[in-house]
Amino acid sequence: MPELATILAGLGDAFSPLNFAFVIFGVVLGQFVGAVPGIGPVMAMAIAIPFTFGLDTLPAIAFLIGVNKGGLVGGAIPAVLMNTPGTPDAAATALDGFPLARRGKPLKATKMALFSSVSGDLFSDIVLITVSAPLAILALRMGPVEIVALMIFAFSVLSGLVGKSPVKGVIAAALGLLLACVGSDPENYTPRLIFGVWSLYDGLPLPSVAIGMLAISEILRRLSLAACPVAAAIEISASGDPADRRVSWAEYWACRFVLLRGAVTGTLLGALPGIGSTAAAFISYALTKAAAPDPSSFGKGNIKGITAAESANSSVVGANLIPLLTLGIPGSVSAALIVSAFMIHGLQPGPLLFENQGRLVYGLFGAMLMANFVNLWVGQLGLRLWVRVMAAPQSIIFSAALLMCITGVGMASGGVFGVMLMLGFAALGYLLSAFGYPVVIVIIALFLGPRLEVSVAQSLALTNGDLTRIANHPVAIALLILSGVAAVYLSRRGRRAADHEIGQATNRNTDQDNGQTER
Amino acid sequence: MPADRISGLVFLVLGVVMLTIIIPEFVETAEGGVIQPATLPALLSWVMAGCGAWMVLRPSGFDSHLHLPAGASVRSAALYAAVLGGAVLLMGELGFLFVAPGLALVIMLMIGERRWAWLGAGVVAVPAAIWGFALLLGRPLL
Repeated sequence: MPELATILAGLGDAFSPLNFAFVIFGVVLGQFVGAVPGIGPVMAMAIAIPFTFGLDTLPAIAFLIGVNKGGLVGGAIPAVLMNTPGTPDAAATALDGFPLARRGKPLKATKMALFSSVSGDLFSDIVLITVSAPLAILALRMGPVEIVALMIFAFSVLSGLVGKSPVKGVIAAALGLLLACVGSDPENYTPRLIFGVWSLYDGLPLPSVAIGMLAISEILRRLSLAACPVAAAIEISASGDPADRRVSWAEYWACRFVLLRGAVTGTLLGALPGIGSTAAAFISYALTKAAAPDPSSFGKGNIKGITAAESANSSVVGANLIPLLTLGIPGSVSAALIVSAFMIHGLQPGPLLFENQGRLVYGLFGAMLMANFVNLWVGQLGLRLWVRVMAAPQSIIFSAALLMCITGVGMASGGVFGVMLMLGFAALGYLLSAFGYPVVIVIIALFLGPRLEVSVAQSLALTNGDLTRIANHPVAIALLILSGVAAVYLSRRGRRAADHEIGQATNRNTDQDNGQTER
Repeated sequence: MPADRISGLVFLVLGVVMLTIIIPEFVETAEGGVIQPATLPALLSWVMAGCGAWMVLRPSGFDSHLHLPAGASVRSAALYAAVLGGAVLLMGELGFLFVAPGLALVIMLMIGERRWAWLGAGVVAVPAAIWGFALLLGRPLL
């Protein structure tokens, strides 16, 4: 556990004027991109990472955290006003936000989304700050055998939860680990799978792979579907009643249990690798609706529906960092991108970070808390501006995003070779997504691959290659059993989901055939 | 043909090619160490080939007609990718400042933008802002 002086020094760093400026910049950028349907915070983070290369570590990471947190708030604005979520996380917000806006209360709906988002986010940040240091101490007691078991557990959960098919999840993990094999092998430092290209001896550059597969492939997909260069203009037609333009304390307080339920749901789900904020928002929404005395009012503009969705999806952000900071395992796309930023600055996320970089970690926590209040402030001031942003032409947004990706990766990975790799991985990401493979698992596996191989080698050395000696490692056995249970449960769940999808598709096709016959 | 069967076949073939051609040819052997450099890639190739075979035999409900993008949008994405690739190669020869405005113009025209003000902003202001920011960071552009 870091000393009090380290904690205070870290918090002092966080509240420095420079860091504050980068947090504000990040939140403004995040809300901006969140408000533009098509560019989400993930893409914005991916684009921004290489540009943080020239910054100090804390402002760089604080800036990215600001982008991520701001993006979740910004994503709710088009969901409420246009019924077009700026981010997938905000889809549940649209269920009640849009009907409330149509009833002449768009400002009340967006403000409640903002307050709920900030409240949920603050809750999960407090949980992160409270539990991560003790968890990191526990994690440091884990040896290589336990680390291998933990990674197997993480991959079995990720493969089952991200995407609809566990088999595809396993293939994605295998592909990511195989890509991690490119370069020198960690034991003998012999070149491996570099095909004579010595630029690959240090492995595939993570920014090229992550930005190619996440940002460029998504831009290409959207560009190929773009029908017109200009998004629809938005009009806010609020009623004349001032009460419809604000959220009163009584209204906020009436939602306190919904807020708490959403925040707890989001925090618990966010702490597990693989469950994203979209799932958290829908689960919280469903729980709130089930517990409500008037469930029929949901979907028609019930303010508690907005609260449930926004508090849950925002509380995932802080919780997502728990496995990253304590175990070094990124549990989501955003966390995987933050890993890239850590690595660009020469840091390895994991439990040792508390020991070696305690001041930085507490600086990061301070920046996260600060970002919440900045989010509230910028959200209140910027609402009308973001409404204008939503109408910006896609032509300029996407061309600018492409140029920034090219420049950023060129700067981070040393020139044209890294950028061409990025384009290659964009094509791979496009194809994988089109065929339903979870791209995020490929990236997480690419990051974890070298550590997994080293841990396997150390485990084999420790046990002399005798697998029965795992009996001396009860934590590893427990994790392996959990992995087996998770794999069986999630593969059955995946199969049921696939069968359900086939059933629905068959019904749709039958209905279409009947319709054509009748016509 | 279900999309899963197509992608499963691709991964089955990839796994087999890795095991029979690529790993023997492009992974060196080492005398020391607990695990050989080829062990993990070979294991992963077996996993990919096995899962690929599983998907060929038992494809899920991921039907190509329902999920895969239409041919026109794939062609459109490929065209954008080709433009980007060409522009990046040109940037390597001529530099960011000379190629970026042209790339922005082509992309914006391909999207369908025809308004002079927006075209001007995309072609002049955006590359200039990126150039200025890189200058501020002290990092070389392409």
